[in-house]
Amino acid sequence: MVLTVSNIDKAYGGYRVLSDVGLAVDERETLAILGRSGCGKTTLLRIIAGLVDPDRGELRLRGETIDHLPVARRNIVYIYQEALLFPHLDIFENIAFGLRLRKVPEGDLRRRVEEMLESLELASHARRMPHQLSGGERQRVAFGRAIIVNPSVLLLDEPFSNLDAETRAAMQELFRRLSAAYGIASIFVTHDLKEAILLGDRISYMRDGKLLHFSSKREFIAHPDYGARREMDFWRTLGDQINERE
Amino acid sequence: MMRKREIGKLAGAMSWIVGTICLLPIVYLLILSVAGRWRFPLLLPEGINLRAWSDLLGGDSLGWSLLLSTLLSGSVALVATFGGFIASRYIARSGRSRGLLFLAYLPFAMSPVILGACIHILYITIGLAGSAVGVACAHLTFALGFGVVFFARFWSRERRSLEDLARLLGASRPQLYRMVLLPAARELLLICFMQTFLLSWFQYGLTLLIGAGRVKTLPLLVFMYAGEANVQYAALSGLMLIIPPVLMLWANRRFLYRYM
Repeated sequence: MVLTVSNIDKAYGGYRVLSDVGLAVDERETLAILGRSGCGKTTLLRIIAGLVDPDRGELRLRGETIDHLPVARRNIVYIYQEALLFPHLDIFENIAFGLRLRKVPEGDLRRRVEEMLESLELASHARRMPHQLSGGERQRVAFGRAIIVNPSVLLLDEPFSNLDAETRAAMQELFRRLSAAYGIASIFVTHDLKEAILLGDRISYMRDGKLLHFSSKREFIAHPDYGARREMDFWRTLGDQINERE
Repeated sequence: MMRKREIGKLAGAMSWIVGTICLLPIVYLLILSVAGRWRFPLLLPEGINLRAWSDLLGGDSLGWSLLLSTLLSGSVALVATFGGFIASRYIARSGRSRGLLFLAYLPFAMSPVILGACIHILYITIGLAGSAVGVACAHLTFALGFGVVFFARFWSRERRSLEDLARLLGASRPQLYRMVLLPAARELLLICFMQTFLLSWFQYGLTLLIGAGRVKTLPLLVFMYAGEANVQYAALSGLMLIIPPVLMLWANRRFLYRYM
């Protein structure tokens, strides 16, 4: 396993946000975590990233404990709902940011950033500033900036929730393509059922601070409590009704 | 179309009038600083006397005061700008930011002379009264507070997320400042430097009190020469007092207008 999280507890002012949470993510695997707003998904990601300290529990990256490691040395990158590009840097420099921190030689850096810009279909936008891009383009840059540093684990906190349906579908496809190409393990947090089923290799469900696991997507879909079967039935019934009318 | 042209002409004429009104005192001070005898009702001086200018260039008291004022205000502005920037970051992140910001505002609640009188005893006790370092510290009481208040709104939630992101991508603390925070705040830093420089540059009462008359900055010299009815020296020191802020305003105009 790349990442193992065990027995995480977190409370704010007496209110328990996470209770005995555990999970594991394997190499090249995407774990989708579903749950309603405010159920503790973001807190869990922030604890894994090192931005918030848990009250209890343990985090292990490739078997080594990382509880004591500062954020900058965990090699875990977080993608937010907003693209959060550095406003004073152009698109090329935004993507190159992590490589510059690692003092990658200029020639190698240029080649890698240009390759990334190509795969993001943003090569012609390299010298544009963040405010000159659309929401979808900015989120693509955020993806490129995170993936280019080859993180051990990529954490995605509802990254497409602010995008329109068409851009969202394009971004989901881009995520699948890039995570397969770079072989990155990721945890994808969303409250969108379809997105979780589409992007997750496995699905977990967070409710009242507890994380429930399913052995397979089939088991999750078959479970009556989580709405997947209901949604599929809805679309099937709707399709049948339309066919009958026509 | 015609109306637009007329408005343009009017705006141009107004610019000239305002420009002339602003420049007139400077030109007048310039003439006074080189004027020989100039008696009523003569429209122009009878001759030219460059005594004050040669004293300035020769490094006499006027030249020394100009250098002292520049160094003092420059150091105060530098410390207040970067100190205020860093302090305001910690204040924004602390759980008591409202109370701490109120403390930063406090020096502005009383006049510089009253504040000077309050801290005078302390400065005498610790041996800072009558020294340039003491005057700089007294100026910093205001300037640093200004810097803290000035940068308070810079530390928004989005800025915090950007900081977190930079750390997640591997930035150490020096890298965070060098590659993210300072470049992002470049324009604000320039404005704050300029403002705190001016706060210190024009300070009179506090300098007189804490400097005990021994630290002769330009404002002190202007009042001294004016009191002695030494018109030529008063005019030249007044001119020196005006020129650096005008130059700074000119240099920072671009950034000021972009921010406002």
